[in-house]
Amino acid sequence: MIRASGLTRRFGGREAVRDVTFAVEPGEVVGFLGPNGAGKSTTMRLLLDLLRPHGGDAAVDGSVGYLPEQFAAYDALGVRSYLHFMARMKGVGTDDVPRVLEAAGVADLARRPVARLSKGQRQRVGMAQALLGRPAAYVLDEPTQGLDPKQVVDTRRLIRSLATDDGAAVLLSTHLLAEVAAMCDRVVVIVRGRIVAEDRTTDLPDLEAKFLRLVGESELA
Amino acid sequence: MTRAVVRKDLTVLWASPIPYVVGALFHLALGLLYVDQLEVRRQAVVQPLFPLAGFLLLVMAPLLTMRSFAEEARTGTLDVLQAARVRAAPMVLGKWLAAWMTGLAVFAPALLFVLLLSWWGEPDAGPVIAGFAGLALFTATLTGLGVLASSLSSSQPVAAIVALFLSLLFWFADVADQAPQAGSLLLRFSLRERLRSFASGVVDTSDVAWFVLLVVATLALAAQAVEGRRLR
Repeated sequence: MIRASGLTRRFGGREAVRDVTFAVEPGEVVGFLGPNGAGKSTTMRLLLDLLRPHGGDAAVDGSVGYLPEQFAAYDALGVRSYLHFMARMKGVGTDDVPRVLEAAGVADLARRPVARLSKGQRQRVGMAQALLGRPAAYVLDEPTQGLDPKQVVDTRRLIRSLATDDGAAVLLSTHLLAEVAAMCDRVVVIVRGRIVAEDRTTDLPDLEAKFLRLVGESELA
Repeated sequence: MTRAVVRKDLTVLWASPIPYVVGALFHLALGLLYVDQLEVRRQAVVQPLFPLAGFLLLVMAPLLTMRSFAEEARTGTLDVLQAARVRAAPMVLGKWLAAWMTGLAVFAPALLFVLLLSWWGEPDAGPVIAGFAGLALFTATLTGLGVLASSLSSSQPVAAIVALFLSLLFWFADVADQAPQAGSLLLRFSLRERLRSFASGVVDTSDVAWFVLLVVATLALAAQAVEGRRLR
């Protein structure tokens, strides 16, 4: 389970997130939606304990798989070597590496140096390292960014299966309403550092209308 | 976990041009300065090699350590590790070991100077062994200071400058030994003084303990700095 309770974080005098409260249950995919600079990445970093909150608290039960928005690995390593390294650092067996290579669709890139991967390929390697050890929760920041259409479809299926087959709690941030409509059970909307809506996911036209109304109202407020 | 970090950091470091360039410049400068010393002294002695190598390592070591944490912080790979709840201690230890091993590999060819010297004279084995042991401990300390500096910044140049400054501070601490109050205390801090006793063939346990203490202190501070990134 992923839980944020009254999270507040300031940078200098500016409040990046304020009183953010929501939860992601096991077996659930929750979309974290908001305009640029709304506080999505900051909230995710608070959940992962990469930042300390100035108020409230965050908790993730069990191990967590994290995919940052701009995933980077070590250029000098091959894909398989990198995943072996990450498996050792996470304390999971390197036996899991072939499974995650397959699941993330990068088995054919196993020997290739990270330096020679495209942006989309790097993103999938990032997804593979997040899958190591079958974590109980996932925090995925823009997981389909830079992927081609087929990879987008494959990644969406994979993320959906993490919740339905493995029972993991998945929080993913995205700019794409279609992504939320395709994958998520619920959506949490953040604007200017505050949660302005939390609802079950409906069809895309309805979601678009709701999101535009929320962002529009917030901008006018 | 520490072993995984050592292996990864050695691979990353030796895939870059840094150790090769540092090694080449180090031995070029050391060769010129050492031959100059031999000509001045008109004696085939090994002793001048160690302070010269020590000073050059002082300048070169920050280049070997500057990327250890700074680069991981800049690219975000450190975030991925910390999100996976990897503690700072094994990372710091692994990075220091990798940097130290690289430092040892960089200055190891200096043994060739001793071999060449044996053509013209018979250098005493004692000062040679003690001198190289001293340089190994000295490199351990410099890489400790470098890893600490790298843990404080996400900029490699800043990490290198901070490491150089700290190293110079410890190297020249004995300059103030004439000060009535702090002089004797500062003399104890001087890395140059510690290295000098090794070069004369004396292995004093207090010198060894001082180097070890500095390494432990710098690594403990680096671990605190890495954990403390979250507080920023």
